[in-house]
Amino acid sequence: MENLLTLKHLNKSYQIGTEQLQVLFDINLEVHAGDFIALLGPSGSGKSTLMNIIGCMDTADSGEYFLHDKAIHLADDTQMTKIRNQEIGFIFQKYQLISQYTVLQNVIMPLLIRGIPRKEAVKLAAEKLEMLGMADRLNHKPNELSGGQQQRVSIARALVGQPSILLADEPTGALDSKTGEEVLNLFQELNDMGNSIIMITHDPKVGQKAKRIVKIIDGRLYLE
Amino acid sequence: MSLKEILNLVWINIVENKFKVILTSLGIIVGAATIVIVIAIGLGGQRDVQEEFKNLNAGTVTISDNSNSSRSGSFSGGASPNFMKSGSQGGSRSNNRTGLSGSRNMPSGMMGGFPGAMPNTQQIKKTTFTNTDLEEITYFVDNISQIALMAKGSSTIQGGTLEDDLTTTIVGATEEYLEISNLNLLIGSFFDSISDEEKERVAVLGYDAALNIFGNIFDAYGSQININSKKYSVIGVLEQTGSVVSEITLDSAVYIPYQTAEKYVLGTNSSPQIVVLVDDVNKIETTIASLQQLLSEMYPTGNISVTDAGSQVAASQKSANTLSILLISVATVVFIVGGIGIMNVLFVSVKERTKEIGILKALGSSRKDILLQFLLEAMLISIFGGIVGVIVGYLLMPLVRLTGMSVIASTSGSIMALIFAIITGTIFGFYPAWQAANLKPIEALNYE
Repeated sequence: MENLLTLKHLNKSYQIGTEQLQVLFDINLEVHAGDFIALLGPSGSGKSTLMNIIGCMDTADSGEYFLHDKAIHLADDTQMTKIRNQEIGFIFQKYQLISQYTVLQNVIMPLLIRGIPRKEAVKLAAEKLEMLGMADRLNHKPNELSGGQQQRVSIARALVGQPSILLADEPTGALDSKTGEEVLNLFQELNDMGNSIIMITHDPKVGQKAKRIVKIIDGRLYLE
Repeated sequence: MSLKEILNLVWINIVENKFKVILTSLGIIVGAATIVIVIAIGLGGQRDVQEEFKNLNAGTVTISDNSNSSRSGSFSGGASPNFMKSGSQGGSRSNNRTGLSGSRNMPSGMMGGFPGAMPNTQQIKKTTFTNTDLEEITYFVDNISQIALMAKGSSTIQGGTLEDDLTTTIVGATEEYLEISNLNLLIGSFFDSISDEEKERVAVLGYDAALNIFGNIFDAYGSQININSKKYSVIGVLEQTGSVVSEITLDSAVYIPYQTAEKYVLGTNSSPQIVVLVDDVNKIETTIASLQQLLSEMYPTGNISVTDAGSQVAASQKSANTLSILLISVATVVFIVGGIGIMNVLFVSVKERTKEIGILKALGSSRKDILLQFLLEAMLISIFGGIVGVIVGYLLMPLVRLTGMSVIASTSGSIMALIFAIITGTIFGFYPAWQAANLKPIEALNYE
């Protein structure tokens, strides 16, 4: 199967005061189209840093990162910005919806940024929101919605641009267990529909829902 | 992202933060209102100057005794005794005249002959002009079409509907004064040279003076008034002019024959002036020079100034311009303060919306889009502030008028205020916008 995403010998460290703190050591990972990977690790293990690098929000100090055939480790800021918009769908623990925008305005943002006309963007967004059971909430503001509903909106926003990969950072972290369960089931459905997903979690039970678990401890990956 | 969609986002943010937008634009509102008013005052001032000198012929030259003060433009007579009036006739004078370079800005102390001949202990003497001087000037100086003698003072008036004494300006003048000062009669006639010689007690009233004393013009004509407790017949009333010439408010003055004034009102202590109308404006400089030369010979110990209308107008214009420049600097300061206000609020706004910026960056918004969004927000706020400021400026104009300043509203003033507002918003909005655009996505996203 063709590799969707390939990481080779990634290293990353941060300068904290005068000290150099290495957070990722020689990361090697291959993700195939249609994968559903759980990146499981305790807090401080470097999983968020890895996620940011995969999501083109941060860069590694050394090593190679290919998304499809693109050498991301060579990309400049403008190219990374474009890749974030077209190839990556972010789902955050705290939803990260823009509070003064309506649900619809939030969801069409990735498409507007891409330059797609509003009319078409609204049509695509409405489809996704309907699929996620949010069709009657288009003109609500995020703070008028429950946590589960907000997470659905953020999932709709991640899906609307048809990205190559969905990156979910503790997607159930802010939800109660029942709603969390629903969101995880939704992820399984989305994966069945052909979406590739990488999900970060510290909770092994949440990790069980994925097809494949990759553990990360102290900045090193342990494949199972 | 299309500009239309960026503007849409800006609009969403402005609508969501109405109160903050109004607070932010306050500085701009004040600045724009100030500009509108400043320009209106500037234009008003210029019109005032024009109005003030409306009745002043460009060719008017005023000769006055300056012995009590030493203003610039005056000169003390320093001619050699050889050239004094008693010792010589016209021929020698005209020879001297042609040798002089005429200048309006003649420094004081212009010496007409041999400076060393005059003793340093010379006393400046007071000069009182008479009809003889008029004859001398008319005889020896070319290019003079009209010449009048006038003196002013103030006196109390009774009569008409007045209950209390009215103190007003009394102008004693010869008949040519009417034409030189561009005055027109509304009713009746002006006094002539016979009235002057006979020292007749006749008076012509300024328009406002007639209204003040009699309530209306027709009652004034043919009536009698008391000036300094002596009866005068009102033989005419002047048209309204609204202007001021040689510190005389023409409309509220009372005009009587020169010699009458000298005898009954002003006394011999008055300071008469000679007003000359030059027939060709281009010859004013040479005429002034000739007059100075002649007067220095006639009154070697006097301190006599010769000023023309042009320089009076220029001086007033200059002071009006100085006021404008002062006001414009005030407006500039107001705008800078307003701009700093905008910058402050935008900095806070960028801080508050750091998370939003992080989200937009995560979704792939380019720096350019974010920079534009914040910059357009600043511009829109300042356009709003500018428009409100112009309206406020117009609303405040009647209040400014109450202070007695004249203001003239103008479209160019409003446009200038708007342009200044937008420039201020753009300049001061740029740095916060640039800062927003250059936030690091992860840091912005995790900002609490």
